[in-house]
Order: sequence, then structure tokens, then C-alpha cells
Amino acid sequence: MALQAEPQVESAGSPPAIRALGLVKSFGALRAVDDITFDLAPGRIYGLLGPNGSGKTTLIRLLAGLTPPTAGWAEVLGTRMPSRPNLSRIGYMTQADGVYSALTVAENARFFGAMYGVVGDQPAADALDLVDLADRRASIVGTLSGGQRRRLSLACALIHRPPVLFLDEPTVGVDPLLRVQFWSHFRALADAGTTIVVSSHVMDEADRCDELLFVRSGKIIARGTGREIRAQAGTADLEQAFLHLGGDVEVAR
Amino acid sequence: MSRRRVVALFRRVVSEIRRDRPSLALLFIAPIVITGLVTFILRESQAPQVTAVVVNLAGTRGQLVGSALGAALREGGATVSDVADEAAARAAIGDKAASVGVVIGTDAATGSSLTITAITNGLDPSGEASQVSAVLRSVVAAASGASGTAVPVVRHTTVYGTPTDDPITTFAPAIVGFFAYFFVYILTGVSFLRERTGGTLERLLATPVTRGEVVAGYTLGFGLFATIQVAVLMLWALGSLHVPALGPLPPFSIGLGVAVNGSPLLAFLVVVLLAVGAVSLGIFLSTFARTELQIIQFIPIVLAPQFLLSGVLFPVSSLPSILQPVVAIMPLNYAVDGLRQVFIRGADLGVPALQLDLAVLAIVAAFFATIAALTIRRDVV
Repeated sequence: MALQAEPQVESAGSPPAIRALGLVKSFGALRAVDDITFDLAPGRIYGLLGPNGSGKTTLIRLLAGLTPPTAGWAEVLGTRMPSRPNLSRIGYMTQADGVYSALTVAENARFFGAMYGVVGDQPAADALDLVDLADRRASIVGTLSGGQRRRLSLACALIHRPPVLFLDEPTVGVDPLLRVQFWSHFRALADAGTTIVVSSHVMDEADRCDELLFVRSGKIIARGTGREIRAQAGTADLEQAFLHLGGDVEVAR
Repeated sequence: MSRRRVVALFRRVVSEIRRDRPSLALLFIAPIVITGLVTFILRESQAPQVTAVVVNLAGTRGQLVGSALGAALREGGATVSDVADEAAARAAIGDKAASVGVVIGTDAATGSSLTITAITNGLDPSGEASQVSAVLRSVVAAASGASGTAVPVVRHTTVYGTPTDDPITTFAPAIVGFFAYFFVYILTGVSFLRERTGGTLERLLATPVTRGEVVAGYTLGFGLFATIQVAVLMLWALGSLHVPALGPLPPFSIGLGVAVNGSPLLAFLVVVLLAVGAVSLGIFLSTFARTELQIIQFIPIVLAPQFLLSGVLFPVSSLPSILQPVVAIMPLNYAVDGLRQVFIRGADLGVPALQLDLAVLAIVAAFFATIAALTIRRDVV
């Protein structure tokens, strides 16, 4: 349907779950996402690392089809975004909790389930079980703690069992114990075949990802495993690697 | 359009409002208190305290009219006294010893027919107008009692309904329409703004829901509350449940006892169409607001002109001609007119004026629903 040839799957390995091709998003003179191209393989956890304002959220919104690109395109599971029907195969946990505080935990889960076209109440109950909120089903969300709300927010992104999951700073404001739990959920989902893109500006979470993409000023400045990136930058930790690869600070080795 | 998604949105909106006590109070208690208060003020100010001084300058013929007039005025609750001449009457009114003077004279041109002149203070035009109309009513009453005196007879009749001094009859339909519009707009605007600022809209739009489904779900949810509100308000306006004296309590009645000639179902239809437009207006305007305070700040821009120009307070016909084109584009105007057609005229669907009102309201609702849907996907970043 498009004039450009749809990118065909290379023979090697499985087809990419997510693909970006020359993706650009401009807001006036600002290029929030500046010519990004990559393929992300299914069943892996990708860490999108970068400082605030580097374009991580805009990149996720482009990949999730929430905003049309200025140039280039994004593909999820072989379908070009934005595509409304494709949204039922994508889970998106926003940076804000994005849950209704006047509703109960169960009502929120069922509501988002209905929006994703999920049939019956069981998937919502399963998602709440997964994040350990089953005993708070009847609680009004406004009465929950910040961590509980974050768990509900995650559950609402999982109800329809999406094969692709975008998590925008999922662990901000989350205590260390819950953070460990979150990451074990993410790992279990990836093992079951879910492709996960996690954005973060916390470098110590990076080693839990299978692969890292360093984002800076709307560009991917480095990609690889934590070890590869450290080796490439010749630094001992990722934070220094980031500064080094950004090229604006000469880091003492 | 997926029915399941619309129903889920509808149920969510309903649960949110149901748990929001201040909003419920705003929806149901506020209009009842305000309409009750307005009715009380308007009805009680119906009987202005009339202190009349009567001057007869027309001999025995005038005497006859003067006593009939005095009797009619007294029957209306006025205090009436006779004074010798017009100067004395003017002095009494100037001192505020009397509120109105009635001079019965002989017409200078014909020398035979009687004239009646009302004198007022001149400092409070609207209050004095009611004094003059009290005199006028008494003249009508007196004329029937004193035949052959050649006092011109004034009668009042109306095309629709019956002549009434009860201003609530025309006020009630207007207020029902205005409250439905006002509260539905505020609640939808604030509620949708919370969707935008709370991050739930972002998340909602990450699901396969369509904009049309969102507008439909919201319209059904707030439409339900608007409908219940209108039902309650109409019961309140039309009802007249008399409670007999009980112990130390005096007898009183619940409800405003407004007469209605048409079908309450048609009145519903008018208000529901208006409310659908108000839901979409709230969604649309929430695009331009960043805080809940700004939703309130739209009231002087969006609602106040409609309140002033839609015949709620001032009759549309009394508005300056330069404003008439503006009046013609006010959705509330058509709702108020439609409700009056139903309440007072008893109009049914065959009445062209009501058909026009319904058609305009439907078009306005469809128009705002479309632009509301178009603005939902505005980039929030």
C-alpha cells in the first residue's frame, strides 16, 4: 500500500517485533526524535536509556502509534504504526499512573480490559494476581499507596496479554523491593515471548536488560549489551559510558 | 463502534460521578435550592406594597369611579386614602408617604370622558412599574363595577396558556434548560480535563478505542445524569404536594406548582439534545484548558452570554436588535424556546416552532460531538 517497499524480513533469525526506519518527530524546530532506525527481536528486554528530555517518551509514543511520525515509520509485529487495530497487541504503561482514582482496583482493570476488547473478568483478575493486588480489588484507587498504584498501572497494561510491551519509566518512585519484583515480572514475560521496551534514566537498572539503546538528543548514540557498551566506551560503569559516548565530557578512566 | 467499549466507558463515567458527592450535590441539590429561591423572590415580589392616594377632579362621576377603584385596590392589599388635589398627592409621594397617586380627571379635549393618571416617585422605575400595573389591574376591576362611566376597559388575554401573574411559568422552562446545560458542561469539562492531565487519556488512546466511542460513552454517562437531573427538576417545578399543618408547623407545599400544558417527554427530548451538545462542548473546551480553574473561567465566555441572550432572564424580543443575530446562534435559546413551547403552549411534534428548536439542537449536538471527537487526539506532550 505504501510507495516505499515494506521492509522484508531477513532470512536470518526471527522477524523483528519492532522496527523503526528513519523515524523523525519534530515539534516546531525541535527534533525530539531524530532519524532513528533499529530492529528489535521478539522475546527480549530492551532498555531505552537517556536523560530527561532526550526523546525516550516521544520514541515510545511513535512506536506505540500514539502520534504520527514527521518522517520515516515504525512497525510493530509487521504492521505499520499508527494502526488502531494493532493497539490490541501492544501494552503501554505510561509514565504517569494513568488509572482512575475514583474507581476501584478491579473496576480499573476491567475497564482497560474492555477497552482492549478482552472478554470476561478473568484476564483482569489474572493481571491483578500477577502484580499482587488481588487482595485490594475492592479498594478505591485514590486510597492506594504510590507503589500499589504503580502495580495497578502495570496490571492495566498486561490484561490483554500483549506480545509487545512499552514501559515508560516503570520504576520511578518505586521502592527497591517492588523494583526487584517488577523486574522479575518483566523477565518472566520476556521468557514467555513478550518483547519489552523499558525506558529509564536509572543506569543501575540497565544490566537487567538484554540490550541497551542509549538515547541522546533524539538519536541512538550506542546500542549493545551492558558489557559491550562498557567495553566500547572503555569505562567501568554505564553512567560514565553514557557521558563518554555523548561526547561532551572527557571522563577520567 | 464497539458496543462493549461504549458501555464500559458509560459505566466508568457513571461510577465516577456516583462516588463524587460534591458533584451529585451540584447536580441535584443546587438547582432545587436556586429555583426555589428564585420562585420565592419572584412570587413574593408579585404583591408590591401599594399605598395609593386618590384625587378626584371629575365630580360625582369621578367619585363613583374613585370609590370602585379604591375598593379594587384595597382588595389587592393596598392602603388607599383620598386627598384633595394633585399637589397634595405629589407631596405625599415625594415624602414616600404614598407609593402611587391616582388622579381621576376629565379629558381636556372632549370634556366628557374620564382620564386616569398614575403618579409615581420616579426614583425606582422597575418597582414603580409594578405599582402602576397594580393600579391598572384595579382600573380593569373597577370599570366592570362602575358601568356607564366611560372608563376605558383594559383586558388581557394570551394566545397560549392563560394570563397569569406568576412569572415562574415562563421562568421554570428556562431554568430547567439552563441548569442542564450548565452542570453538564462543568462536569464533563472537568472530568475530561482530568483525563487529559491525569494521563488516563494517553493510556485510553493507547487502546483500540475510537474517538467516536469515547464521545458516545461520555455522552451516555453524562446524559444519564442530565436526564435524572431534569426529571428531578421537573418534578420539583411541576409538583405541588400540599403538606397539611402538623403541630406547630404551618401547612406548606413541596414543589413550585408550575402549570404545564405539554408532554413532559417532549420536554425531556429538548433537554437531552441540549445536554448532548453540552457534553461535547465540555470535551472540546477541555482541549484549551490546563487546569480545572480554567474550565470555570470559560463560564463567563461561553455560558454567561447564553444566559443573558437566551431569554432566561430577559425576553429575547426585548433584546437590542444588534444582538438578535447573536441570539440566533445560541443553542440555549432554542432549548428555552422549545421548553416554553412544550410547557406553556402545550406544543406537540407537529408544531413547526418546536420542530425548528429540535432540529437546531440536534445539529448543534452533532456539530460539537464531531469537533469534540476531532480534538480528543490532540498531542499532549
